[in-house]
Amino acid sequence: MASLSEEVLLVVKKVRQRKQDGTLYLMAERIAWGPEGKDRFTVSHPYSDIRCQKISPDGKAKIQLQLVLHTGDSTTFHFANESTALKDRDAAKELLQQLLPKFKKKANKELEEKNRMLQEDPVLFQLYKDLVVSQVISAEEFWANRLGGVNNGEPAPYNNKQEVGISGAFLADIRPQTDGCNGLRYNLTADIIESIFRTYPAVKQKYSENVPHNLTEKEFWTRFFQSHYFHRDRINTGSQDIFSECAKQDEKGLKSLVTQGVKNPLVDLLSLEDKTLDEGYGISKALPSTSNANKSVKESSNSAIIKRFNHHSAMVLAAGSRKGDLPTDQASETSSTDGNSRDSDFFQPPLKKVKLQEAIEYEDLQRENTPKTVALNLKKSDRYAHGPVPLQSQQYTTSQDIINSVSYIQQEMANYKPNLTRVLSSTAATSAIAALSPGGVLMQSVGQQSINQMVPTDIQGELKHLYIAAGELLRHFWSCFPVNTPFLEEKVTKMKTNLERFQMTKLRPFQEKVQRQYLSTNLTGHLEDMFQTAYSKFHIWQTRRMMRKT
Amino acid sequence: FRLNIEGLLVYFPYDYIYPEQYSYMLELKRTLDAKGHGVLEMPSGTGKTISLLSLIVAYQRAFPLDVTKLIYCSRTVPEIEKVVEELRKLMEFYAKETGEVNNFLALSLSSRKNLCIHPEIIHANIVVYSYHYLLDPKIADLVSKELAKKSVVVFDEAHNIDNVCIDSMSVNITRRTLDRCQNNVDTLQNTIHKIKETDAAKLREEYRRLVEGLKEANVARETDIYLANPVLPDEVLQEAVPGSIRTAEHFVGFLRRFLEYLKARLRVQHVVQESAPQFLKDIFDKVCIDRKPLRFCAERLQSLLRTLEIADIADFSAVTLISNFATLVSTYSQGFTIIIEPFEDRTPTIANPVLHFSCMDPSIAIKPVFQRFQSVVITSGTLSPLDIYPRILDFRPVTMASFTMTLARTCLCPLIVGRGNDQVALSSKFETREDFAVIRNYGNLLLEMSAVVPDGIVAFFTSYVYMENIVASWYEQGILENIQKNKLIFIETQDAAETSMALEKYQEACENGRGAILLSVARGKFTILARLEYLRDQFQIRENDFLTFDAMRHAAQCVGRAIRGKTDYGLMIFADKRYARSDKRGKLPRWIQEHINDGSLNLTVDEAVQLSKHFLRQMAQPFRQEDQLGLSLLTLEQLQSEEMLQKISQMAHQT
Repeated sequence: MASLSEEVLLVVKKVRQRKQDGTLYLMAERIAWGPEGKDRFTVSHPYSDIRCQKISPDGKAKIQLQLVLHTGDSTTFHFANESTALKDRDAAKELLQQLLPKFKKKANKELEEKNRMLQEDPVLFQLYKDLVVSQVISAEEFWANRLGGVNNGEPAPYNNKQEVGISGAFLADIRPQTDGCNGLRYNLTADIIESIFRTYPAVKQKYSENVPHNLTEKEFWTRFFQSHYFHRDRINTGSQDIFSECAKQDEKGLKSLVTQGVKNPLVDLLSLEDKTLDEGYGISKALPSTSNANKSVKESSNSAIIKRFNHHSAMVLAAGSRKGDLPTDQASETSSTDGNSRDSDFFQPPLKKVKLQEAIEYEDLQRENTPKTVALNLKKSDRYAHGPVPLQSQQYTTSQDIINSVSYIQQEMANYKPNLTRVLSSTAATSAIAALSPGGVLMQSVGQQSINQMVPTDIQGELKHLYIAAGELLRHFWSCFPVNTPFLEEKVTKMKTNLERFQMTKLRPFQEKVQRQYLSTNLTGHLEDMFQTAYSKFHIWQTRRMMRKT
Repeated sequence: FRLNIEGLLVYFPYDYIYPEQYSYMLELKRTLDAKGHGVLEMPSGTGKTISLLSLIVAYQRAFPLDVTKLIYCSRTVPEIEKVVEELRKLMEFYAKETGEVNNFLALSLSSRKNLCIHPEIIHANIVVYSYHYLLDPKIADLVSKELAKKSVVVFDEAHNIDNVCIDSMSVNITRRTLDRCQNNVDTLQNTIHKIKETDAAKLREEYRRLVEGLKEANVARETDIYLANPVLPDEVLQEAVPGSIRTAEHFVGFLRRFLEYLKARLRVQHVVQESAPQFLKDIFDKVCIDRKPLRFCAERLQSLLRTLEIADIADFSAVTLISNFATLVSTYSQGFTIIIEPFEDRTPTIANPVLHFSCMDPSIAIKPVFQRFQSVVITSGTLSPLDIYPRILDFRPVTMASFTMTLARTCLCPLIVGRGNDQVALSSKFETREDFAVIRNYGNLLLEMSAVVPDGIVAFFTSYVYMENIVASWYEQGILENIQKNKLIFIETQDAAETSMALEKYQEACENGRGAILLSVARGKFTILARLEYLRDQFQIRENDFLTFDAMRHAAQCVGRAIRGKTDYGLMIFADKRYARSDKRGKLPRWIQEHINDGSLNLTVDEAVQLSKHFLRQMAQPFRQEDQLGLSLLTLEQLQSEEMLQKISQMAHQT
């Protein structure tokens, strides 16, 4: 059989599909059917592709099981073993019933993800319409290298919406304004409320406890702004205040943050000193009394402000990184067990070791082994830093200057020695010069501006779609090179057909349409070029392949 | 790779080397060759530690008879651990290069828990531990007493070494100390009684030993076996313990009398300051205690505790403290001052008398170290002005050098901001520091900088109280709110755990790109007036010179942390118009000073912001190893070229 490594859960013989006898296999991840006497499957569906199964009603002559796929296609199996047909079918049905839900989640997630991507990205959606709906390529091919993120758990930038962080100053953004009659107006936006909730979960809890059954939303926020909780530099917290509990919770949170201690031993001030002097020794500084009893009101208010800033910043920081934080924590934990087991004779927490290594590292003293990158070579870094500066009139040159510089350039040219290892081929150079000379392709007086004006917007839009779709197809095509597996061989051939089909069904009609509208500019020349390049590449590859085979 | 430092083969565990590392090693080798002491300044981030280790280890291997041991002292636990890590790296490199398993024994003491490792210390080739193990006589006597004379001692991060010395020799006595001491004395008395009944012979044996005197210790010192203990003065060694305190009972009685006297002295209404001789005269007048038995007090107590076989010495810390005080006050007629205060400054209504016995002369504690060990090297990123350290520590160095940081691009930008945009002078001097306009201008400076500087800013204040006040008024003026729009704010508190948390969060915010500001306090030790007078009279250092030196070394310490290495970059903003004066900025380390030009003096906030913007944009350009090579980073071939060697020696000789 095709793949023996798979676990086969159920085998049902004498199952007909498309009027052919065969055997049905239910495997760990897919259902498959192969015709009698052949050792390969002609039907194979991963469970995740199956939307649902249907069975023929009891009492019907044919005992059947139908699988409906997410794509809308369906496959019907006919259980033909006269004596056990019903039993066979039910066994298969039962097993599928157990298996499908397990894969459904994954499939649904994938589908949802695809759906979401299409909704969020109109360009992608258009591309999907152009390529898949018009059947230039199959849906599978379309998603093949787009959905990498969903399957590998490595989110591609566009299918993971970046979460917006919290401004550190969101409380300050609520500028109170006097409303003219002895009151204050606070401007609250949904963003600010969101920020408050994310930073101070205690407030969110109060909110969900009290709104709307005890307080209206407005009352809630009014109280919030009146509370000492908001004006934290005021000291006494009234017991009436519904937010006094929040303050206590914050206090607790801060305390637990502090007692948790720090992970990086290099910033742990508690264990900094190897040996503090024994009691009674040392030049004594008047030790600050930490008890609140003999602190003035002003002092304790000041320290309340300081505490508040630290807490606020810590909370904002935590709210911003809450999502990504967990996995790294786990990672550091697992690595910690690794480290300990490896050198148990010399016990040192790995994080500490890492931090120490980091601290003593001189990266520039070591040979670089990072890949070489091309650095921007700036002739005038000032202009890069400040942007172009308009020429001052006095910087304009006199005609004498111009003559001088022309002769200087002539001289330079006379002495010019080409760096032969780094030059373009002469044809490429000529074509580049031609393209950049007046009248050349890139220097036509009909600039982009005028194309904009000459070509109606709908045509422009259509052209854009064509470009995107063609680009996508070509991307698929070129990604097959170098063709070194049978799969790629198959794909590249298919892609070439796809390209041709696209040219026929999409590009041709568009060209005709453009001609009909008597637009003189050759809008599709470049597209055609791209197709031709692909074809010739394909041709070369094919001839080589033939030669190798013969 | 391997280096040739004036004929010494040095293994250096990196592929490249900074020119200043080469110069540093050269200077260090000359110090060792001369068997003398050295003062070396080299910026942090230029690989000072690895240069030191590489050279001294190489020296030890080449001349095992001349240098038997390296004693490496650093200040904090993380620093000690870093040194150990670098040493490990070096040893791995040796193993790899030479192919032989190293028989070097290195030992690090980074916690009091693993004390009492006497034999290991004696046999280790390298010992890494905290300053206190060498400078605090109480610990040095236990740990470092028997270290060989032919050792090289390195004090890294030594910019505050004088304060460590002073701290280790100073004593404070409160009523609580005296009460606990009273209990100790009672316990001693009871124990003596018990022993007398059961084992009187033991006490007689002790008496006999005391008549013999401390001759044994004296022999040891004269034959140079031990590191001297400043609490055990020479005179004590030559004489027998005076008869008045020779028997155990007499000694306990003597302690009681001394204790009563101290209790009486603590009953004061106003601040009293006196010198050691004045104190001795007073104690003789009042309770007839002579100078001589006082001097023997510490040693006599140790002997008694040994005789009584008291296991837990920690319980007797109070009586030990008092007897140490007795010995010190009677031994040193100079270099100490006694101040008795009836209450704390902040709480004048609560009586809490304290007797401060303050050491003013750091050379007392470090003297045995300089005398005993062949080479002592004092080094740090900031030791300027270099010549003041030999003066206050009273030693004669054979080498003194300050190395600058060779840079392929100017990656540090010191700016002196002297005015606000409103032209009001910016200064934290006492007269104007509470000025509304000054506080606002400081706030504006921080606010504007928070908008320009990527990632992190640390702002240092002169004291905690001052920072608290400024934070409160910035809060009222809405400045902090505006800063929050750019950066998160973390503030140091008086609680170490809370501050650690803030520090870690600050780092996290800088690393993840969020950006943060840390408001912190530059912890200067306040210098007592008496010390200034002492410095003037004893070492001819004028009060103002010392204060400036003290202030500038703290400033240098603060800004010196801005860059971690040559690939890093940082702004250093001195926000006080006083820094613009040449007598002040002239005391900054050379590697900072040489980047201060006339264009960076007495700037307004706006000007500073413009310069910062320009600097930061330049720093944002890619910086690669190739850019450094041949200038601030050398390959072995480059280092060996005649031209480069000349250039390096030229640079080094600018000092």
